[in-house]
Amino acid sequence: MTSIAYPLTERTLDNGLRVIVSEDHTTPTVAVNLWVGVGSRHEVPGRTGLAHLFEHLMFQGSRHVASGEHFTALMDEGARLNATTWFDRTNYFETLPSGALELALWLEADRHGHLLEAVTQENLDNQRDVVKEEKRQRYDNVPYGLAMTDVYATAFPEGHPYHHPTIGSMADLDAATLEDVHAFFRSHYGPNNTVLTLVGDVTPDVGFAAAETYFGHLPPIERRIRPLIPQLPPLTDPARVDRGGEVPNDRLYIAFRLPVDTTPGYHACACAIDVIAGLTSSRLTRRLVRTDETAVGVGGWTMGLIDGVSLGAITVDVSAGEDPDEVEAAVCDELEAFIAAGPDDEEMESVVADTERSWLSALASIEQRADLISHHALLTGDPSFVNTFVDQVRAVTSEQVQAAAAAWLRPQARAVVRYLQADEAEAVA
Amino acid sequence: MRPGAEGRGARKDMSEPTRPGVDAPGDWEFPTPERRDLDNGLTLISYHVPGQYVLSLRVGLPVSLREEPREREGVATIMARCLDEGTERHTAEEFARLLERKGVSFGAGVAEAGLFLDIDVVAGNVDPALDLLRQILTEPAFPPNEVARQVRTRLADIEQERAVAGHRAMMEFYATLYDAEDRAARPVGGSRQTVAAIRRQDVVAFHREHVVAAGTTLVVSGDLTGLNIASSVDRALGGWARGADRPSFISESAQLAADRDRVVVVDRPGSVQTEIIIGAPGPDRSVAGGWAPYPVLGFVVGGSPSARIDAVLREEKGYTYGIRAGFRPRSSGGIFTTSGSVRADATTESLRLLAEILEGAGAGLADGEVRSGVDFISKTAPGRYATADAIADEAVTMALDGRTTAFTTANLRDLATVDARRADEAWARFWEGSRLGASGTGWTIIVVGDAAEHLGEVERLGLGPVTVVRDS
Repeated sequence: MTSIAYPLTERTLDNGLRVIVSEDHTTPTVAVNLWVGVGSRHEVPGRTGLAHLFEHLMFQGSRHVASGEHFTALMDEGARLNATTWFDRTNYFETLPSGALELALWLEADRHGHLLEAVTQENLDNQRDVVKEEKRQRYDNVPYGLAMTDVYATAFPEGHPYHHPTIGSMADLDAATLEDVHAFFRSHYGPNNTVLTLVGDVTPDVGFAAAETYFGHLPPIERRIRPLIPQLPPLTDPARVDRGGEVPNDRLYIAFRLPVDTTPGYHACACAIDVIAGLTSSRLTRRLVRTDETAVGVGGWTMGLIDGVSLGAITVDVSAGEDPDEVEAAVCDELEAFIAAGPDDEEMESVVADTERSWLSALASIEQRADLISHHALLTGDPSFVNTFVDQVRAVTSEQVQAAAAAWLRPQARAVVRYLQADEAEAVA
Repeated sequence: MRPGAEGRGARKDMSEPTRPGVDAPGDWEFPTPERRDLDNGLTLISYHVPGQYVLSLRVGLPVSLREEPREREGVATIMARCLDEGTERHTAEEFARLLERKGVSFGAGVAEAGLFLDIDVVAGNVDPALDLLRQILTEPAFPPNEVARQVRTRLADIEQERAVAGHRAMMEFYATLYDAEDRAARPVGGSRQTVAAIRRQDVVAFHREHVVAAGTTLVVSGDLTGLNIASSVDRALGGWARGADRPSFISESAQLAADRDRVVVVDRPGSVQTEIIIGAPGPDRSVAGGWAPYPVLGFVVGGSPSARIDAVLREEKGYTYGIRAGFRPRSSGGIFTTSGSVRADATTESLRLLAEILEGAGAGLADGEVRSGVDFISKTAPGRYATADAIADEAVTMALDGRTTAFTTANLRDLATVDARRADEAWARFWEGSRLGASGTGWTIIVVGDAAEHLGEVERLGLGPVTVVRDS
């Protein structure tokens, strides 16, 4: 059992910016990581994809920075950098030699405080095209590329913040205007809606002083915060979508609504899904892949979210010639059996050991450590989650896992998305 | 900056700070390993990396794909995947559980350079992990049902790979660049027919001959405080059979196809994007003039959103999410590829622009571009090699290339001396060595997209003879 105790020091600037410093001098580098509390869950109908398109514009120049200069100025100093957008947040990050920390903070503050002066119709149109190619490359032109979009739409009701994917729709991307971009920035980008984490070759004193120097002048924004929506209950009847087409094999996504992220119920559901489908020695791997040989692969995962629901899923790649209905029935059998008896001690031991190693691996790099610290500071309120998560999982009992499965993973609560080879899809249409 | 001091951009009022300067990067060197040669021919290379609580173990075996029987290509891959699927003492299921209860992640695979095994485990469990590794290497049972299952899984993977445009393009690239008789022209993991023919006895025979200690390298990287890795490895693997003597790395050059300078269109009717590869043979790490300029060239031409290619195709035209170019060394010789996907209706224009940009690099690179590339690669090194797994990956890659990470260190030093003159000379050597010509001729070009839409226009570009491939 490895004790996890990364140092964490936190301070909030007068303008509301939360700054967290975690000192680690093993290499002369530092990870700079900003999480802004805006993601696709904040988008309004007709403007899906805007949070992500906006993220692209953050690299196209700001008050004192030319288009593309954010990349080139930082890469010249040895930074690896990027940004990503997801349901609940948008993050911006770079890892670079610690002697360039102040430059990184200055560049970040310029775009996080003064982006709009540099946004032009030309930039917007260009990045709209780039994002559309990103959508084609990652979603439209790849087998099963739209499956997760179908899962969200099937598991979550129309109008729910997680009903639509972060990439948005082509029509909505086309509809985005400069006015939308301005309004979006003013509503969401401000120090009091942002967490800044510094991990690496920097002391807390130096980190806080630098944050104050470069971000201290930014005014807070007026935040109109919608309260988080109440926990969405499990589905009461199975929901399903079938897609047919050019896929190499039939694949099932059997998804469930789960409790929100980092709650005891969420951890217990995550343990249950690990045992049923996530571990290499999971029950469904043993049954479908090793014994029945009706599947070539089984996976299980959970996605922690904050706005009233999380998501968990079991995925099955069906063996050629096998009946997807029978495979799905076998998954339901195993869910029922798990709910009836719960996990055994060896299964729980495996979940804890696997969680410990994978969590420590995630924390091994300063960039991912910074990302996880920002994540939990912004979304669940507790940056020290990086130090306590494994203990939280270790504290989960078999009975809690069984009870969570009974509450959230019943077969009738499943949302099923099936991607079927074309000829079969016609038969079921 | 000193603790408590205010930053360079400090100001007294709430006005904006000014743009700060940058301090020189701190001292850093690639970690120095300890090396130990065991009596059975196994070499242990260990790196103590403070603060890395998950240890990364990498085993590199110099197993050449050319050792696979022609009719059983893919047997090395199937063998690798079956190593933990049951041993003399445990069934496949039991063994999976043993690994999992100790939190051991295990993977094995094959590449041109050899056979690789990966283990990650928390430091406190390294002894049980090494014992499990011993069983994986020396006691696999290869139960017939598990072999058959891995064959089926690989056949399913082949279908997945064919369905993904990027994979499909790469497969066609190797098939076009290399002579059809050379192993390098065919998929590392075998093709439908050869994989379907693999039986247990093929796997057992391949294991018996090739999974031996002689010439094998084991890398252990991570926080080794309180551990005696050398004696742990002695205990676990000292008894592993030596096998026939062999060098610790393979050095084989692949035969190029006589007609490699041509365009192959893989037909994907209705495709909304076109996947493109423009490539050629390239250098390996032993190239005259040094390896250091080649990653710089890749960076300048196609290594970032501001590189020459994406400056035009992404940031100016909006044709693509991103196209990358770079040199990939193999054990002897290597490849250069430019690859990515573009909007379908921009296919021909993208090909024309890419050929033009690549040819334009021969007119000379600017000092600033080269400096940016050198700075990026050298200054990112401390961060890129900060984790146990990154260090172990680099070490095993070097071992199977007949080198040590002393090369990594020396190459980073040499990199600092790369200027526009050296970069231009390196590009010219590549261009001449690969017999590339003017107006986009000499390249091996793969286009995965709608042939009916693009064929005529692509032919008119004059990039070489064009053929169309249709997947069944």
